[in-house]
Amino acid sequence: MAGDALWYEAAHVVGITNALNVAADGLGPLMAPVKAESAPAEVAAVFADIRAFYAEGGTGEVPLPFGLAAHDPGYLADLWAACKRAFADNRLGRRLKTALAFAVSLTTRSGFGTAFHLAEMRRLGVGEGGVREVVGVTQMFSSYTKIADTLQLDPDMGDIAPVDRTPAPGTGPR
Amino acid sequence: MPTVRLRDAGEYPEPARRAFELSKQWFNYEFAEPPAMSRVMAWDPEFGGPHGRAMKRAMGPGEFTRGEKEMVAAVVSGVNACAY
Repeated sequence: MAGDALWYEAAHVVGITNALNVAADGLGPLMAPVKAESAPAEVAAVFADIRAFYAEGGTGEVPLPFGLAAHDPGYLADLWAACKRAFADNRLGRRLKTALAFAVSLTTRSGFGTAFHLAEMRRLGVGEGGVREVVGVTQMFSSYTKIADTLQLDPDMGDIAPVDRTPAPGTGPR
Repeated sequence: MPTVRLRDAGEYPEPARRAFELSKQWFNYEFAEPPAMSRVMAWDPEFGGPHGRAMKRAMGPGEFTRGEKEMVAAVVSGVNACAY
């Protein structure tokens, strides 16, 4: 997993996953999402794109965070554009990105995110063995991190990966 | 600053020093001293041994590659706000 581009993509997945989860877990019980049947045209168009992204083998439902965001159509459009970009196949594949989102959701105890990304992993072809692998890694590194924090260990493994000297996107060949 | 004094590799008994050599192989990197976490886990072999085996079992290739799992580990560490 060399090269900064992979890690930028992973960070975007982590960020947007957390953004979706906090709204779904925090507001889901308190606020009604915009329903597809009653959505204005500009929201309906975004909902259609969302359903298409999650369509194959999925529930056909618009995931809760987007229904909640749809009370402001402009916000929904930008939130969805960022989410779609973060989860689309790029240098990292969607399958791994979804596994990362599942691990993040499990670690942050997000009921919405854990269930949603678990279903997405399965929809994208990850078997039960693969799910257990991600759970195992999540558990073990939830242990290591707390041991390290309790003992206030200083980072000492930063040098094992080479520094990526390539320029930022758009400034030269990658 | 750590809340404990991290012992140098030479202060550990021979079985732990052998484990430190395996640690180098695992990371494929020549450390001047074993990583702090390796030395922490070597403190009590009855804890560190099975914990380390569980980690290696979890990190071994399966449906996901070792590299993919390292990325999962990194994001878990990130959301746990663990600088180590």
